[in-house]
Amino acid sequence: MQQAINDTKRMILVCCGTGCLANGSMEVYQALQQQLSNTQVQVETYTKATGCNGWCEKGPLVKIMPDDITYCQVKAKDVPEIIDKTIQSGEIVNRLLYRDPKTKQRYKSHHDIDFYKKQHKIALRNIGEIDPASIEDYISRDGYQALTQALKEMAPAGVIDEIIKSGLRGRGGGGFPTGLKWKACAAVDSSPRYIICNGDEGDPGAFMDRSIMEGDPHTVIEGMIICAYAIGASAGFIYVRDEYSLAVKNLAIAINNARSRGYLGKDILGSTLSFDIDIVRGGGAFVCGEETALIASIEGNVGEPRDKYVFPTEKGLWGQPTIINNVETWANIPVIIKEGAQEFAAIGTEGSKGTKVFSLVGKVINTGLVEVPMGTTLREIIYDIGGGIQGGRSFKAVQTGGPSGGCIPETMLDLQVDFDTLTSAGSMMGSGGLIVMDDRTCMVEIARYYVNFLAGESCGKCTPCREGLKALHETLEAICQGKGKVEDLAFMEDIGETMQTASLCALGRTAPNPVLSTLHYFRDEYLAHIKEARCPAGVCRDLTEFYIDAELCTGCGLCSKNCPVNGISGEKKEPHVIDQDKCIRCGECVNQCKFNAVKVR
Amino acid sequence: MKISIDHQEIEVNPGETILEAAKKNGIHIPTLCYHEAYGGQGMCRMCMVEVKTGHTTRMVASCTYPIYEEIKVKTSTPAIEKIRKNIVALLYRSSPSSEFMEKLYRQYHGGESGEVQYSFDFKDRCILCRLCVKACEEIGTSAISAIYRGTDKRISTPFDEASATCIGCAACAQICPTGAIDIFQSDTERIIWNKTFTRVKCERCGEPFATREQLEYIAARTGIKGYEARLCEDCRKKSMVVKIIEASGNGS
Amino acid sequence: MSANAKQVDSKKLIQILNNYPGEKRYILAMMQDIQGEFKYLPREGLEIIASRVDVPLSRVYSMATFYKAFSLVPKGRINFKVCDGTACHIKGSNVLIDQIYKHLGIKPGETTADGEFSIETVNCLGACALAPALVANDKVHPKVTSSGIIEIIKSYGGQINATGN
Repeated sequence: MQQAINDTKRMILVCCGTGCLANGSMEVYQALQQQLSNTQVQVETYTKATGCNGWCEKGPLVKIMPDDITYCQVKAKDVPEIIDKTIQSGEIVNRLLYRDPKTKQRYKSHHDIDFYKKQHKIALRNIGEIDPASIEDYISRDGYQALTQALKEMAPAGVIDEIIKSGLRGRGGGGFPTGLKWKACAAVDSSPRYIICNGDEGDPGAFMDRSIMEGDPHTVIEGMIICAYAIGASAGFIYVRDEYSLAVKNLAIAINNARSRGYLGKDILGSTLSFDIDIVRGGGAFVCGEETALIASIEGNVGEPRDKYVFPTEKGLWGQPTIINNVETWANIPVIIKEGAQEFAAIGTEGSKGTKVFSLVGKVINTGLVEVPMGTTLREIIYDIGGGIQGGRSFKAVQTGGPSGGCIPETMLDLQVDFDTLTSAGSMMGSGGLIVMDDRTCMVEIARYYVNFLAGESCGKCTPCREGLKALHETLEAICQGKGKVEDLAFMEDIGETMQTASLCALGRTAPNPVLSTLHYFRDEYLAHIKEARCPAGVCRDLTEFYIDAELCTGCGLCSKNCPVNGISGEKKEPHVIDQDKCIRCGECVNQCKFNAVKVR
Repeated sequence: MKISIDHQEIEVNPGETILEAAKKNGIHIPTLCYHEAYGGQGMCRMCMVEVKTGHTTRMVASCTYPIYEEIKVKTSTPAIEKIRKNIVALLYRSSPSSEFMEKLYRQYHGGESGEVQYSFDFKDRCILCRLCVKACEEIGTSAISAIYRGTDKRISTPFDEASATCIGCAACAQICPTGAIDIFQSDTERIIWNKTFTRVKCERCGEPFATREQLEYIAARTGIKGYEARLCEDCRKKSMVVKIIEASGNGS
Repeated sequence: MSANAKQVDSKKLIQILNNYPGEKRYILAMMQDIQGEFKYLPREGLEIIASRVDVPLSRVYSMATFYKAFSLVPKGRINFKVCDGTACHIKGSNVLIDQIYKHLGIKPGETTADGEFSIETVNCLGACALAPALVANDKVHPKVTSSGIIEIIKSYGGQINATGN
């Protein structure tokens, strides 16, 4: 691990990724800047606003180097103490250190914490350590060395070979061997050639690509320039999801900086390569993550996919040979070229080389971004790194692969996460979203949620997807309202099969997966809704009734204090009662009760 | 080059679609969004067929799949028939007021034909094959398009209002397989897509044959003015024949 | 006064559009800039784009309705974006949506008649550790509870509907 600076200076890194920003990290950063300029500090101190450290649950995160101190959940009002104690006198403010809930110990550096110890960062190597607006920061951490090496010491075909040897597969969900894609494109005799970065990360709950584009834009840019050299491309596009305004801003700054250093533009680094990159903002359409829809969108059309019987590598953007790769895929390229394919291939499994970034969210204690070697098991990620389930509740399922994936139950937690293992279990790794669910999640409602999402995001062009989603949605809505029939289950499986074989694009083909996988692993939950008019998880409002177990209730009153409709009554230290006529089934009482006294009938 | 469809060997040109090749050789593949004037659109997925290249077999849409190598095609298998059956069921579920879909549903699912209730909601008859949009693009003024997306997708004029560019030619209504597009017309008026047009009568036979806007549009595009422009198609043909006879008469 | 009756500054519209060449590939960018400036896409904006790029209005309208980033109806003075990403969903984002409907009478995509409030759902703000999250005019409200949303509505001047369910 490199230290950022020498001992006569101190560096304060404040996480300014979207998650920490939402929690007030900009106020912390500004307070630091302001107070450092006002105070007489012996040690020369620099502040940096970095991208997402990944540990969003404990943000805003502030790291102090070279001391390697990590402070968690820092507020602006903590700043005077940090400057006074840590910067001036080198003392640690203990209460701001992370405290492991299991061991009760406090840890000085994030490097010692399980959440980080078990990670292996390649794509995320710079995020949280650099100011994304500073190209010098990127260069100081081996930035653009891979590009220089490629241009000066390697032939284009050699670059392609190195990527093939590394075994890198697309990180956006498709998992196609990247090197083979480049090779196929380079072999097509037509110019110009285009390179596209797919930054349209649309899976709800996934923010890996956002963090990379915000926190280390140069790794994406360098990856694309290396590819431009390898296949002979003249223009590149980074298609960024509309909602990611900070990513757009930081990418634009980075592109300008790269241009002024001669890494983009004409005759790059004295070679014959001329290449530049434009940013294209998405319009708020999940389907534009599909490559032919993305191409249509860049061309100035609605984002409707087309049949892919001829690949974009042959006929893509404006009918020309085009390489489209995901943000995380691009982020790996400079490391593969600089460290060599062999070193990359030494990590991971036989069929899935390298690492993968996951967004671990939901009912898990340590929510955030993690990067682990391929082949790590779900259990290790959720329990060792994630710290297990929040609130002491029990694990029910983990949704992997977003709306195209499926739910994995507790019995399969020892499955390795890679491209192929999860697929054979009826889900997929996808782009890396891991949504952890507990016993208060209704699997039928989750299926309904994903189908509802896809029904609005489908482009609507082909019948199986559009009409299939409509039929699935109507059926699931009915089941969640207690109007379902047993025949509905076979009906959904039948329609699902047609969608998988006949849909025009991958959105439609994978759309039934959340339904089919929950039907497979949680069929009894569906049957409880249909036959007993009951939602066991206590989520579907029409089928839920909360009640308070008088034996367990201590009469503390936390539930009634937090009830938005004043629907709980009871004397202090006496068992409380829920008024069923007032109850809106929001579940806040269940969340608040520390004695597990609020139950689902 | 040669390929086989349902064990029949046929000769094809590289780049031709399976559907085109099949049609040329009298092999039937059901379609809903295909039209001989415009080709296939890959939307309805009724034309799915099984394709075998080497050792791989997969399902593709025959209307958009270009042939570049020797393949073995099967236009009907139990799996394919299941797909067609479900597509028809799904479309009928969404367009219950379409007699066309009702008939098609009976064809695939059996049973007696029933009464079909007319609905004033165009969406209850539309199967979103978009042939109307295609026709409007090619021979009309691109006044209608597919708007919104997903399950909200539908065909309309911008803002659901009378379109400034619509010329009332009704090419859309003519090509619609389910007759979903309403035209209300009298001798003097035509109302389509919320816009009222004046119908013009043929100068020779007196039958109403086009809207005034349509004639203006054609005149602007083709430069044809004068007497011919004010004749219906039949009368224009007859007038052409007369001209040819006169011309050959003069020549000899 | 209905927001639709507002006069649109045509000069500003044209100024924005002149930043781009009149080519199809810039339609999306033109619309984004107009949406950013006016908080919605005025009808005139679509018509000018169609003529500048020389494509039929129907095609521009298709794009305006296809992409969820755009609104054809002006947003409210306070625009609530409730995150309905999966992490927020399982932590109860639908409760927030229901509460907004109960007290303000609007469903996602709608604006109140007086133009004060509008609500939309977004698919993941990328702040999953703060679930359920909502954004009110660029201000992020983290971990909003069912009582918390009532306080938020009140703080922006909304009336709380104390009766009925």
